[in-house]
Amino acid sequence: MSEMNESRRALIKGLGLGLATCPFALGAARAEAPAQASAVTAAPQAGATSSSDRISPFGAHQPGIATPRPAWGMVASFDAIVDTPADLERLLRRLTERIRFLTSGGAVPQVDPKLPPLDSGILGPVLRPDGLTVTLGLGSSLFERHAWLAAHRPAQLVRMTSFPNDALDADLCHGDIALQFCANTQDTIIHALRDVLKNLPDQLVLRWKQEGNVPVIPPQPPGVMESARNFLGFRDGSGNPDAADEALMARVLWVETPDWTAEGSYMAVRIIRNFVERWDRTPLTEQERIFGRTKITGAPLDQPAGSEADVPDYAADPEGEKVALDSHIRLANPRDEAGERHLMLRRPFNYSNGVTRSGQLDQGLLFIAWQASLEDGFLAAQTRLNGEPLEEYIKPVGGGYFFAPPGFSDAADDYLGRQLIDAIGRTPRKT
Amino acid sequence: MKTLPLAALLLATTAPAFAEQAALDLVAPIAEYKLYVTENTETLVDETRAFTEAVKAGDVEKAKALFAPTRLSYERIEPVAELFADLDAPIDARADDYEQAEADPEFTGFHRLEYALWVEGKTDHVTAIADKLQSDVEELAKRIDGLTFPPAVVVGGASVLMDEVAATKISGEEDRYSRTDLWDFHGNFDGAYKIVELFGPHVEDKDFLASVEGNFAKANETLAKYREGEGFVSYEKLTDEDRRRLSALVNTLAEDLATLRGRLGLG
Ligand code: HEM
Ligand SMILES: [Cu+2]
Repeated sequence: MSEMNESRRALIKGLGLGLATCPFALGAARAEAPAQASAVTAAPQAGATSSSDRISPFGAHQPGIATPRPAWGMVASFDAIVDTPADLERLLRRLTERIRFLTSGGAVPQVDPKLPPLDSGILGPVLRPDGLTVTLGLGSSLFERHAWLAAHRPAQLVRMTSFPNDALDADLCHGDIALQFCANTQDTIIHALRDVLKNLPDQLVLRWKQEGNVPVIPPQPPGVMESARNFLGFRDGSGNPDAADEALMARVLWVETPDWTAEGSYMAVRIIRNFVERWDRTPLTEQERIFGRTKITGAPLDQPAGSEADVPDYAADPEGEKVALDSHIRLANPRDEAGERHLMLRRPFNYSNGVTRSGQLDQGLLFIAWQASLEDGFLAAQTRLNGEPLEEYIKPVGGGYFFAPPGFSDAADDYLGRQLIDAIGRTPRKT
Repeated sequence: MKTLPLAALLLATTAPAFAEQAALDLVAPIAEYKLYVTENTETLVDETRAFTEAVKAGDVEKAKALFAPTRLSYERIEPVAELFADLDAPIDARADDYEQAEADPEFTGFHRLEYALWVEGKTDHVTAIADKLQSDVEELAKRIDGLTFPPAVVVGGASVLMDEVAATKISGEEDRYSRTDLWDFHGNFDGAYKIVELFGPHVEDKDFLASVEGNFAKANETLAKYREGEGFVSYEKLTDEDRRRLSALVNTLAEDLATLRGRLGLG
């Protein structure tokens, strides 16, 4: 086995340490970490998680971004019914109340049996947090709809536009508000979505949702981690920056501006269909050439006997004889100066929806990327990827760009998005 | 436009369960509701006759003009009509309720005629369906006449109507050939509001009532923008913004009205 890169080594050395703390954090994002910590996109290991895992909703940053990706995730997009700043504040406060409840778990309140129960009941009478995170994103349409909000639009928040290979379905795009739900089990994210829908019917109208999962792998020896595989059978996440490296995350993920958006992050969501039948009919060498990595281990093709942690050396391979110049990883991150600037943290899920009209599987990737700069992150990478050979096997059909506001604290009166409401100036600024 | 505050509901558990004898007070509003339903079924029978006769006479324009207004009385009393599934389906089912959609021989009733009028543009092949619709609504009227109205069904009808709109109407699926969906919304809102009007006075929580009334008023306001003559413009004219707002109002009313039965002590 070849040398492990610095950041992976640092990560593994950092096992058991809380992830993604930052100078303002109220504590480790993960209050009760599972037995072994993991890279954000490492494959979840069987037996390593439990329904009592609790990820604190509090902190300088929202959870669900730099916290390890659990087995299940969903993005739900909503239209927001908001006319005044007070309406927006009410929405945010009520949403926060639901998040506090859902992520801490406990007994579900019971009411007179002549009334509909307050809770769907799908998790039983006592909720377990099950590693649930709920991450709020705001879409550009929200800011565009109201004059009093327009001035507060996050600087880089734009409406997603179509790339050359896209076939966007209007019913799967955009939204005023996105909620990302992640948890150990599918039932927990469905429960959380239904809870939000039931409690905020007057302000949130569902537009679309997509859920997905990542394969859980058998328990590994201590310190061994591998990235989870996507539906093309490749490990996905090897090239991700190390979420345990706070200084790096401060650069990659968190917005550093002197306005309300500080410590927030931009979210790019793409629903990308994979033509899996066609892919499965493609020779292995071709598949590997398209990505620039081996299928089994994920090692870069310039070090095929190595591991997924090895960093490709493009300077030594200027003609792309080993890692093709138009391979996915080389285009997505040329690992030059531009590549260094253009970092993002990918945290995707695989989805499987059903069958298309032509009798093919409707499967793909719920691509979710987080970054401090949408332009330098997702937009730059996607622009470089336009025309890549992988396009023959993928078709982006939906998604949107959102801005995840900074986190909130456990102070009783604090809530998600307070910084925005304060900026609008409706409520006196808290100290 | 508040939803029911959680606290108010939680109180319900600690306070003594909703008055058991409340059901007794409901005799009068139930009788009144039955009257409302009977009036509507009578209108339905008469108007359906005029409609089906126009269909059979091959007068496409006249039949088109009568289609939406005729359905109004049906949409108002839908929760009661739905008690008779063997009639509701042949009267009001949509093409997608059948495996072969429009081509399915089982597909009958209003929407089959709607399809003939707006899409096929002729009626000579659907005279039997017109006759069947007429006899089905007459049978419905007869059955409703003999029906003892179960209080829980009557009161529950308010949220059923809102659920219907939320689940399959807001999307414009109901009257997809004629685009007269807004007439149906209106009928459903009317029918739900009638129930609130009759039973509301027996609800203790006046804030709840005020919020429900407020949401009905807002829904009416939004629909009013689309009025034209006796009825409404095409569903396609509904802006995304108004559809969003109606969705939120309908979902909120559905949630709130789902507590109406319990609030009146009905299990
Ligand atoms: C269905 C669509 C996609 C699939 C199946 C896919 C798959 C992969 C795989 C297998 C890798 C190699 C393992 C790794 O480094 O994580 C990878 C790397 C990467 N992908 Fe994708 N990807 C997809 C879409 C995208 C999109 C839309 C972007 C951004 C616009 C993107 C950006 C990246 C980046 C930045 C890397 C890391 C490159 C590196 O640092 O070496 N991918 N992807
Ligand atoms: Cu109907």
